Amino acid sequence: MIYLDNAATTKPDRELLDVFTKIESEFFANPQSAHRAGLSAERYLVKARDMIADALHLDNHRVVFLSSATEANNLAIKGYALKHQNRGKHIIASNIEHPSVLEAFYQLRDHFGFEITILNVNRQGQIRLDDLRHALKATTILVSIMALNNEIGSLNPISEIAEIVHSASKAVLHVDTTQAIGKIVLPFGDIDLFVISGHKINGLKGSGALLVKKPIDLLPLLSGGNQEYGLRSSTVSVALAYTLALAVKKITKDLPAKVAHIAQLNSYLRSSLSLDEEVVINSPEKASPYIFNCSLKSKKASVVVEALSNEDIMISSSSACHAKAQKTSYVLKALGRDEALSANALRISFDNGSTIDEVATFLARLDEIIKRIRS
Amino acid sequence: MTFDRIMVRFGELSTKGRNKMDFVRLLATNIRKKLADAFDGITLETRYDHIYVVLGSNPPESVIAALQDISGINSLSLVKKTAKDIDVIAAAALEIVRERTAETFKVKAKRGDKTFPIISDDINRIVADEILANTTLTVDVKNPDLIIGIEVREEGAYLFLDTFKGAGGYPLGSGGKVMMMISGGIDSPVASYLLMKRGMIVECIHFASPPYTSEGVIEKVRDLLLSLTHYQTTIRLHIVPFTKIQEAIFDHVDESYAVTVMRRMMYRISAKLAVKKRCQAIATGESVGQVASQTLKSMRVINEVTSLPVLRPLITYDKSEIIKIARLIKTYEISIRPFEDCCTIFRPRHPKTKPNFQATLEMEKGIDFEALIIEALENAEMTLISRQNAEVIAR
Repeated sequence: MIYLDNAATTKPDRELLDVFTKIESEFFANPQSAHRAGLSAERYLVKARDMIADALHLDNHRVVFLSSATEANNLAIKGYALKHQNRGKHIIASNIEHPSVLEAFYQLRDHFGFEITILNVNRQGQIRLDDLRHALKATTILVSIMALNNEIGSLNPISEIAEIVHSASKAVLHVDTTQAIGKIVLPFGDIDLFVISGHKINGLKGSGALLVKKPIDLLPLLSGGNQEYGLRSSTVSVALAYTLALAVKKITKDLPAKVAHIAQLNSYLRSSLSLDEEVVINSPEKASPYIFNCSLKSKKASVVVEALSNEDIMISSSSACHAKAQKTSYVLKALGRDEALSANALRISFDNGSTIDEVATFLARLDEIIKRIRS
Repeated sequence: MTFDRIMVRFGELSTKGRNKMDFVRLLATNIRKKLADAFDGITLETRYDHIYVVLGSNPPESVIAALQDISGINSLSLVKKTAKDIDVIAAAALEIVRERTAETFKVKAKRGDKTFPIISDDINRIVADEILANTTLTVDVKNPDLIIGIEVREEGAYLFLDTFKGAGGYPLGSGGKVMMMISGGIDSPVASYLLMKRGMIVECIHFASPPYTSEGVIEKVRDLLLSLTHYQTTIRLHIVPFTKIQEAIFDHVDESYAVTVMRRMMYRISAKLAVKKRCQAIATGESVGQVASQTLKSMRVINEVTSLPVLRPLITYDKSEIIKIARLIKTYEISIRPFEDCCTIFRPRHPKTKPNFQATLEMEKGIDFEALIIEALENAEMTLISRQNAEVIAR
């Protein structure tokens, strides 16, 4: 199988699976327990937090272990907005954020009376810094901008955004870094709230973390035993937390060399497909090399994805037929693509283990399929 | 619990004259097959007018629920069997009445065994007197809380309080076998259900066009048929590869005629397979006027390819009526899963609602369809859909 859908999820690292089994069988005790078994479990939890701080060069963030990036985004946005609504009820995001951000914003607007500003991105999929400056006001308490877009790979200038948000307002900056961890170097020290998803970085599904800069306080979404600094009640899985830390450590190691390798694959893909008359490339030139998005002019993306799947090549179409009607990508529409192109996108996303041969095979099969299928 | 049996009453079988016992035996076999899957220690007593399901230690509610899905059953009652003795009958009636809270009652006896010396009216009186003397209940013949049914038959007397509705129709298999064209939409499972209810065994044919249709559609069809195993315990599904034919149609046939020609191909293949599998008819979920290929004029041109009867149980149904049944038989939620099927791909913008017969024949001339049809049938795959098979896969 050629697996090129790593933005959806990655294959778990074999070593992490072994570590998970080992910790879960030998250190299964509740880390909150006062007995010796509990204390040894807790040691792994502490070590996991330290490993994440080390790998990301953090010295002033709390690591809150939870289940997923979706949960982390929800906790960051709703937890902060609801806790600090007495300071102002205005929050800002971009129009190509992940649904776990946008839907949280809509919920705050529709059920809690928040005023929301949604910034439109430019053709490169980035917010305009001037728009951000103008949107900030005295009542703004939270800005949420993603680092690396999950559909097209576009990157936002997070350093500049952090600078603007912190100098021109009292708002905190939340960055959805789900796709960015281990793929770009970010100024984590300047970001107030950001997230990690285990399964996007060869870790395990069900593991994630929210990084909260001290002394920021949030309203917890779950009430209970006040685990994880009181921010996320429920017994933490020490084994999952530890595999998450290991995954972060592994993925951030030798980052420049890994990015250079993926950049080669991406440029091969881009240069080949730019010659194909059937293809319109959606990912901007300056996007992350890990995610490549293009649309088909006359063929149905869902059919091409199915045909590739029959040839044992897994990629993703951002279109999903919903009850026989096409569902279009809001991200591509935000870039100014028309309805048809937005409904017929292909997303190819790499893992550090992806090879140039895999890209070559993919390109060859794609070419055959495009020629073969009627539309 | 004083009830020990379920009385199974037949529907239209009563009109069947000399063949009746064949139908009853078939129904008994269907009941035995269905109950054997889920229950232990159940026995059947088959008589000319009723089948009795002897419960053993099984929960009556679950057995009744299982029986309600079997076609050919008009109604069901939980009964208590007693000796044919009026004192025993009266005592048993009192016993079952005491288990209920009610204020009024009525006794409704039927003397099937004319050798029993007491006539129905007198049975009513004697049993009512017994209940009046021993409880606070009063008689109300117009609107009673409880109706105590009593049937006296050769082998004994049966007493019951409640009657549950059955599925109606004829016993499965009594109506022969049909080849049903199933796409994955809302209509064909409902049509299948109606055919089963009418006693026909349904065998299914599905046309798959990978990569235009996804693996998910086949999954969907399997799940739909699995829901229908409540009514027919084992369903045969034939999956016919259809891509080459659809591509040939796309390449050679005018866009506005593509659907007409495609349907003719499906009918040709279904008819061939139907004959091979000893089905007496083909069946579809078509409803007149629903889409372009389902106008009468279209059906006429499409139907021309086969001399087999084409059964269209939904022909006069409104979509809302179809959906109502689909919800009832729990196929609706599966049918609306979002996958493209063979009917939605290559959908022309302006399909012919009134295709011309001669023009259709002209369009088909360009292609060697016969060879493609034979190839498709040779590569068809058959699977058996049943609860047991599903469990094996799940394990």
